[in-house]
Amino acid sequence: MNLWNKLMCYSRRRSPWLFHMNGGSCNGCDIELIASLTPRYDAEQLGVRLEGSPRHADILCITGPITHNAVGAIKVVYDQVFGPKAVVAIGSCPATTNVFIESRTLDGPLNKHIPVDVFVPGCPPRPDAIIQGVAKAAEILAERASKKLPVAPVVMPLVGEGCGGACACGGSGGCATKEVQA
Amino acid sequence: MNMTTALARLLIFPGLLFAIPGAWFILWVERKAVALMQGRIGPPFMQPFFDFIKLLGKDTPPREGIGGMLMKAWPLIAVSAAAGAVGLLPVLPSSGGFEGDLILLLALLEVPSMCIIAAGFSSRSIFGEIGSAREAVLSVSYNIVFLLAILSIAASQHTFSLATLAQLPASPLRWLGVLALLICLPAKLHLNPFSLPNAEQEIYSGPMTEYAGPELAMWELSHGLEWVAATGLVATLAAPHVTFGWLAILIFVAFSFGIVLMLSAVASATARLAIDTTVRFYWQVTLIFAVLAISSALFMRFRS
Amino acid sequence: MNILVMLWKNLWGGSRTMLFPARPEVTEHYRGLVRFDPELCSGCAVCKFRCTAKAIDFKGGKGVFTWSYDPGQCTFCGRCVDGCKDHALSQESACPPIYTTIGELKEAYTVARKPPAPRPAPAVAAPAGPTEQAAAPAAGGTE
Repeated sequence: MNLWNKLMCYSRRRSPWLFHMNGGSCNGCDIELIASLTPRYDAEQLGVRLEGSPRHADILCITGPITHNAVGAIKVVYDQVFGPKAVVAIGSCPATTNVFIESRTLDGPLNKHIPVDVFVPGCPPRPDAIIQGVAKAAEILAERASKKLPVAPVVMPLVGEGCGGACACGGSGGCATKEVQA
Repeated sequence: MNMTTALARLLIFPGLLFAIPGAWFILWVERKAVALMQGRIGPPFMQPFFDFIKLLGKDTPPREGIGGMLMKAWPLIAVSAAAGAVGLLPVLPSSGGFEGDLILLLALLEVPSMCIIAAGFSSRSIFGEIGSAREAVLSVSYNIVFLLAILSIAASQHTFSLATLAQLPASPLRWLGVLALLICLPAKLHLNPFSLPNAEQEIYSGPMTEYAGPELAMWELSHGLEWVAATGLVATLAAPHVTFGWLAILIFVAFSFGIVLMLSAVASATARLAIDTTVRFYWQVTLIFAVLAISSALFMRFRS
Repeated sequence: MNILVMLWKNLWGGSRTMLFPARPEVTEHYRGLVRFDPELCSGCAVCKFRCTAKAIDFKGGKGVFTWSYDPGQCTFCGRCVDGCKDHALSQESACPPIYTTIGELKEAYTVARKPPAPRPAPAVAAPAGPTEQAAAPAAGGTE
C-alpha cells in the first residue's frame, strides 16, 4: 500500500531513536551529545530519544577514534541494532582519527569497520551541529528504507555478551552467535 | 452485562478504539509536561503515534523455541490485559458493571507488571534478569499499599462494583484511599522517583533490553494503556458523579488529565531512588497508613 | 519545596529552547574553519609543520606550491594561524558543516610563488637576483 509506505517513511524521519557508543574518545563529544538534550538545544523537539539498548535504537552515534579494544565491541553493537539503521560519526576522531593519526593503539577511522552515513566534524562539534547531523541521518534512514535497499543483520548476540575484540576471532562474532542470516 | 455489551466496552468504548488514541495522548501529555517543567519544549503532538508506526516497521529478530515463542507472547498478553482493564472503567454512568469488577480490574492491572517480569527472565540476558528482579521487588512493595487502599475504600462503602463506587458520595476514608493510590501510581507506571526497572545507565533497558520492532511497539502500547487504566481508576474514585452522559465523559477526561499533570510534576521534581530506599519507603512509611485505613474501614463496617 | 516553585516558574515562564533549525551565533574569537588567503602566503610551510592533526598539506614545486586543508581532519587548535608570519591564515567564526563522504570538505589551492622584493643596493644586477633566489626556495621547498 503506497499510503502505508509513505506513512512509514515519514514516521522514520520523525522518530529517530539514538544509541550512543564511545569508541575510545576523550568524552568531549559525548558531553556535547548529552548537551544537545538540554533545554537550550532540546533534541526532543525532533522526537529524538536516547535509548538504553541498541536493540531499541535506529541511529548509532559513535564518538572517539576507534581503539583496538573498541573495534570488536562496535561491530557487535552495530549488528545488534536492527534495520533500518544509520550511523553518525560525531567529532573529527571517528572520521579521520584527528590528532591521533599515527597512534599505534588505534585501528583506523570508523568507516573501515562499519558503513557511516553522516560525519559531524568539530572538536568537539557544537550541540546544534550534532542535532543537524542526527536530523540528516534520520532523513537518509527514511529514504533508504523506503527504497528497500537491503540491510541485513549478520550475527545477533545478546546485548552485553560481545567479546570486545579480546577473542581469537577478532571480535567479529559474539560468543552467543546465532545463525548467520543471508 | 451480556456478551455484546462486554465486547463493545472492550473494543469500542472505552475499549481499544478510544483507548489507543487516549494512550498516545496521555503519553504525549506526560512527555510535554515534563519537558515544559524542565524549561524546554517537548515532542510534537503526534510523537507517540510516529514512534508506534516506526517501531512497527523495524526488522523482527528471529526467536527460536519455546523461549522465543514466550518472548513474542508476553507483550501481547500485556496489551490485552491492559485493554481489558480499560474496558472495565465505568466512564458512562449507565454502562452497568457487575459486582466484583473492581477485583477484576485490579487483577488485570497487575498482569502487565507480571509480563514485564516474565519477559526479562525469558530474554536470557543478564540485564533483563536484573531489571526483572527489580521490577518484582518494586511490585511486592507497592502492591501491598495499593491493594490495602482499594480494599479499605471498597469495605467502607460496602461494595466491590466500580459503577456503584462511582455513584456513591465520597466518605473521608475514600480520600485517604485515593491519596494512598496516588502515592503508589508512580511505582506502577515506572515514573520517577520509583522508575527503577528503567534505570538506563545501570542496566541498559532492564527487562526490555532484547526487544525490538513490533514487540517493542506492543510494550509501549501496553504502557500507555496502563496509564489510561490507572488514571481512570483514580478518576473514577475521585470524580463527582453526574448523570448526564457527555458531562460525565468530560469530567472523567479532565480528572485523568489532572492526575497525569500531577504525576508529571512529581516525575520531573524527583530523581530515581535506589531499591533499598524504595522498599523502605513503601514498607515502613506508607504501610502504616494503609494498615490504619483498612482497620478503620473494617471497624466502621462492624460498627454499622 | 523549592523544586516545585522552580517547576511552576518553568511551566509559565516559557522555554529557552532554540527551535530547530535555528542555531546560536558563534562569538568573535570562536575557533572555527581555517581560511587561507593565497595573496598573502609566501610558501614557508610553517603551518604544515605546526599542524597537530596533519590537516594541512604542503607540496612545493618549481614556481608553484599546493596548499591543502581538510576540515575533517582538523582539530581547530589554531597553531597554524598563530605560526603564520604572513597572516595568510585566519580562523573564521563558523562551524564546520556536516558531510556524508570522507574527504568531501577538503580544499586545495595552487599558488604561484611570488618573486621576492627587489634589493635596494644598486650594485647587484637585477636579472641575476630573482633567478638565484627563485632556485633556492624551489630546492628547499621540495620534500
